[in-house]
Amino acid sequence: MILIAIILGCVIGALIGINMPMISYTYSGYLAIAIIAALDSVFGGIASTLKKNFDLKIFVTGFFGNAILSILLTYLGQKLNVDIYLAAIVVFVGRMFNNLGIIRRFYIEKWSKNRRKNDKKEENKTVGE
Amino acid sequence: MKKFKFRADITTVTVVVFIVCIVLVSVMLMQFRTIEQTDITEIETMRESELRDALVDWEARYDETITQLEAVNGKIGEYNKTIEDSEAASNLIDEELKESNILVGKTDVYGEGVTVTLVDNDNYKIIAENLIDLANELRYAGAEAISINEQRVLAATDIVDMAEYTYILVNSQRIEGPSYVVKAIGDKEYLSSILNLKGSGFVDRYTTLGYNVSSRQENRVEIPKYNGDFEINYMREVESE
Repeated sequence: MILIAIILGCVIGALIGINMPMISYTYSGYLAIAIIAALDSVFGGIASTLKKNFDLKIFVTGFFGNAILSILLTYLGQKLNVDIYLAAIVVFVGRMFNNLGIIRRFYIEKWSKNRRKNDKKEENKTVGE
Repeated sequence: MKKFKFRADITTVTVVVFIVCIVLVSVMLMQFRTIEQTDITEIETMRESELRDALVDWEARYDETITQLEAVNGKIGEYNKTIEDSEAASNLIDEELKESNILVGKTDVYGEGVTVTLVDNDNYKIIAENLIDLANELRYAGAEAISINEQRVLAATDIVDMAEYTYILVNSQRIEGPSYVVKAIGDKEYLSSILNLKGSGFVDRYTTLGYNVSSRQENRVEIPKYNGDFEINYMREVESE
């Protein structure tokens, strides 16, 4: 059910995105930061789902809140003549890698367990980070 | 506990995920299109710092171009001056050449002067010496151009008797009698008076001796150009410092 929602959402989003008017290049910097923040939230959500501590409120507020906050911070940075968006990018991308690492480890452990179950004779290889 | 909570909100989660997907994908696609279709070299899309850099760059180029333009204009002025100079020089050279050609005898010339006619008679036959004598006297009287039977007399002209006085060579061209017409351009009065001077004038002397010689003043004497080539084989110019 969630999978269907994801696929349908992506298709509809693609259609909307293609038909949306182009924005000015000046503002595309803000949008890029917002996208990074949203992606960070999505990966965070996936990671927490795998850890089974997913909270919808946290996810939704993180998704929209981080995006808006990053846009505001970038704007503030422009006014202060400080490249705050760099800090935002570092934080968000760092967290994205972190979450991706969690997701990766989860699936590798699952795969290793499956192999152990199938072939009990063989010593299990632990793949650590 | 958490798992239970998660399952209880499944419809809400689905709706939220659906909305999140729509928002994220549409915004990302919008951004992709913007970045793809924007020409970052266009002034309208440049950021402030880029514009500043571009402005500085253009200013430098402008200055450079102005300098180059000035240099090129200076060169053009120089070239124009050179052209004028060489035109003046070439005009001068042309004039000099014309004058030299006239003096040297490379052109047909005309002007007032005298015609002296020498005809062989029974007593005397005209020989080269007589012609040399006449040419000498005409030169002395200020003749600017002389011809003997349409052969121009120049600095390099030879006047010699050939084959036992049967004919005369002028400019190495055969001249045959019996009558020889010598033309000279110069002051016709003066030339005529020198030639007819009693006792020493050519016409007077030769007439007294019994030659058949006569002179006539002319308002227009035409003297042809020298037809041969000037060859310089042995002489070289002495280089002076």
